[in-house]
Amino acid sequence: MVRYFAKRLGLMLIALFLIILVTFVIMHAVPGGPFTSDRNLSEEVEAALNAKYHLDDPLPKQFFDYLKGLLHGDFGPSYKFTGKTVNDFIANGFPVSGKLGGITIIFVVLASIPMGILAAVKNGKWQDMVVMAVATIGVTIPSFVIASMLIYIFSFRMGALPSFGLDSWKGYILPVITLGGYSVSYLARQMRSSLLEVMGQDYIRTARAKGLAEPKVIFKHALRNALIPVITVLGPTVANLLTGSFVVEKIFAVPGLGVHFVNSVSMRDYTTIMGVTVFYATFLLAMVFIVDVFYCLIDPRIKYD
Amino acid sequence: MKKRLSLLLALSMMCTAVLAGCGGKDQEPQTIDDVQENTEEEAKGEAAGAQEMTFVLSNEPDTIDPTVTNNSFATPFLVNCFEGLVTYNEAGEVVPGNAESWESNDDLTVYTFHLRDGLKWSDGSDLTANDYVYAALRVLTPDTAAQYVNMISDYVVNAEEFYNGEKKAEDIGIKAVDDQTLEFTLKESCPFFVDLVSMWVYFPVQEATIEANGDKWTTSAESYIGNGPFKVTEMKEKESFTLEKNENYWDAENVTLEKLTYRYILDVATALTAYENGEVDGVRTIPSSDIARLKADNAGVYTAPSYGTVYYDINCSVEPYDDPLVRKALNLAIDREALINNVAQVDGEPAYSFYAPGYVVDGKDLTEGRSEFGLSSTADPEAAKQALADAGFPDGEGFPTVQLSFYSDDNVKKIAEAIKEMWEQNLGIKVEVSSADWAVFYDDVQNGNYEVAAMGWSADYVNPMSFLPLLYTDDVTNNSFYSNPDYDAIVDQAKVEKDPAKFGELVKQADELVSADYPVLALYYKSNNILLKDYVEGVYMTSSSNIYFKNAKVLEK
Repeated sequence: MVRYFAKRLGLMLIALFLIILVTFVIMHAVPGGPFTSDRNLSEEVEAALNAKYHLDDPLPKQFFDYLKGLLHGDFGPSYKFTGKTVNDFIANGFPVSGKLGGITIIFVVLASIPMGILAAVKNGKWQDMVVMAVATIGVTIPSFVIASMLIYIFSFRMGALPSFGLDSWKGYILPVITLGGYSVSYLARQMRSSLLEVMGQDYIRTARAKGLAEPKVIFKHALRNALIPVITVLGPTVANLLTGSFVVEKIFAVPGLGVHFVNSVSMRDYTTIMGVTVFYATFLLAMVFIVDVFYCLIDPRIKYD
Repeated sequence: MKKRLSLLLALSMMCTAVLAGCGGKDQEPQTIDDVQENTEEEAKGEAAGAQEMTFVLSNEPDTIDPTVTNNSFATPFLVNCFEGLVTYNEAGEVVPGNAESWESNDDLTVYTFHLRDGLKWSDGSDLTANDYVYAALRVLTPDTAAQYVNMISDYVVNAEEFYNGEKKAEDIGIKAVDDQTLEFTLKESCPFFVDLVSMWVYFPVQEATIEANGDKWTTSAESYIGNGPFKVTEMKEKESFTLEKNENYWDAENVTLEKLTYRYILDVATALTAYENGEVDGVRTIPSSDIARLKADNAGVYTAPSYGTVYYDINCSVEPYDDPLVRKALNLAIDREALINNVAQVDGEPAYSFYAPGYVVDGKDLTEGRSEFGLSSTADPEAAKQALADAGFPDGEGFPTVQLSFYSDDNVKKIAEAIKEMWEQNLGIKVEVSSADWAVFYDDVQNGNYEVAAMGWSADYVNPMSFLPLLYTDDVTNNSFYSNPDYDAIVDQAKVEKDPAKFGELVKQADELVSADYPVLALYYKSNNILLKDYVEGVYMTSSSNIYFKNAKVLEK
């Protein structure tokens, strides 16, 4: 098993390297550069800027210089925001996105798993219908629509919650619902179908035949196995939620990391594009890895060798 | 204006009263109705309220270093945390700032500015003419990568040579004669140099903090040292910046506002909701579709004409657009009123020339009484077809499909699609629209790789010379690749004309000459709108969209 995880770790590093390489190449292939702005810069100024940030070096040299910096944990300076580094962006933005995301994950897990169990246990009854209706709405309506609706109802009409910012605990309510809405719905559906499938298996029939009480059958025997597909999805979801969402952060004016994913691309802020991509990729790979470890703990049938 | 004057008077009266030790603390609080009429009571109402306000910004600047940026999103910081030699008043006129007076030699090549007594930085240290010299040197050092370097190097003697490494620092024509006297020597006579030094690239920056912190001096409140009416006391990246009154500002006694919080809300709809909920006191950017409603509701829309034009570049270097008749036809076929009121729903005036109103000579705007070049606010399909026929394309036959490009932006997209429709309907030609994000789009436009492209121009400084180069042969900003030696000659003349009246005449002449040639598709002149609650007084915005808070007061809510 140790060998297996060592191999996985090696593959992760290779994947990471490929992600860096591909992002780097695509980014430089797109026309325009960090210094294309609405006001024309004279050629001298552009040359000075390029020299300052070593953008006049050949691309392979830039790439390896960047890698070298990465190995020292240095994501480089932002080309667009003078005096700031990508490390600053991550150090300032990630705690904010992470806190919002963390609360959202708790909300997602606490809401979706009971919803899914309820729907599966009451399969075909009205409880099932209600849960699935809510879940369908959550999956189909885009988050910016949900956000606008929530702001309209709870802060504009009722004046009960702030329309922006995370200045008090009240500020978290709307962003958490918006951010978690999709995941709650998706995971609830996943939980329901997975639990239904497990409930049809032989060992559940055996358990019931032994005369076990229904709650014990569900929570002790079925749930554990039914959680595996849910945890598979939960891994990437956690990475997604913790690194921030562009839409939610923009609408609720949350100073997180998510805004950088989109803005850095349209501004061609090369180092920021690279930095947030590498950061997110590492996070995602780590989560997938952790999920694999979890499999072993939950389902004794899964063995790695 | 009158009201403001009385308010100021009342305020100074109140200050005297307090100083004399007979402040009216024990008087009864006034009702709002009393405040309306009685100016003295109005001032009292002010003193009662906390002098604090929150203003929403919708875009983040690349940096708030005046020597580096040319980004207009930085102006809320630059013009309120710094002050140059001259500044603007509420009427939009240049008035003394750090300099109390200035003069020039006869041929307008040497300008001498006299600084006020006792100028200080926000950390309390002395500010001298040498700080101005240091700032200019910083701008002219290639390592700084100053985006506005041309605004100095194009005018000041040896500045360009220094930038290129051909001359030494002491050769540059910016000298501190003594601690309070600053002298600029220019390459050639420049009648608008005082307008130019109002730009932030001419602002002073403090050597001590920059030497200690490098590029990072703008990233923490402690090291961001300025000389304006306010100083930053807290920086929360991407969230909020807190500005407080700078007690070391030379005119601090006339600054009433104690605390100004800039809050970043990048989504303009959220910002508007926050404003309407009363969570904030002002907003920098209003969603354009809401402007009409907010104005009707008297919600506090403050409008200032902006010295800028929204237009489409027509590539004058490629066929068939090199023919003025074709460009005339394209211009005639546009219903500008519909674009402004129905399509873009912006606050604007129809434009027939690239040159915007906003520059005044002898009390008259240069564009007053200007020709409309045969255009009108609505489309004229007959005349448009005629012009196209004269160019050799009767009923649009044989005219190639127009490639209309624009950059990704909702409003720009709406306009582009409307223009396509107008041209297809009124001229019988085919139009293909395409969009790309700004960086890609602009790259193409600069390289002449387009036919007709969405564009706009906001003047960097309030003088026609910030517009005229747009059509000057081979100028770096001339993206329509228009070339007319007669026009170039008039611009050259205007550049060195000392007499303001004659200068104005030349500008008019140049504008009339070139606009009759339809080098661009002018659409409308912009205005800037911000939202401010009615209990905030004295905030003003110049035509270059700089917002000044130094006279701001918060009345009783």
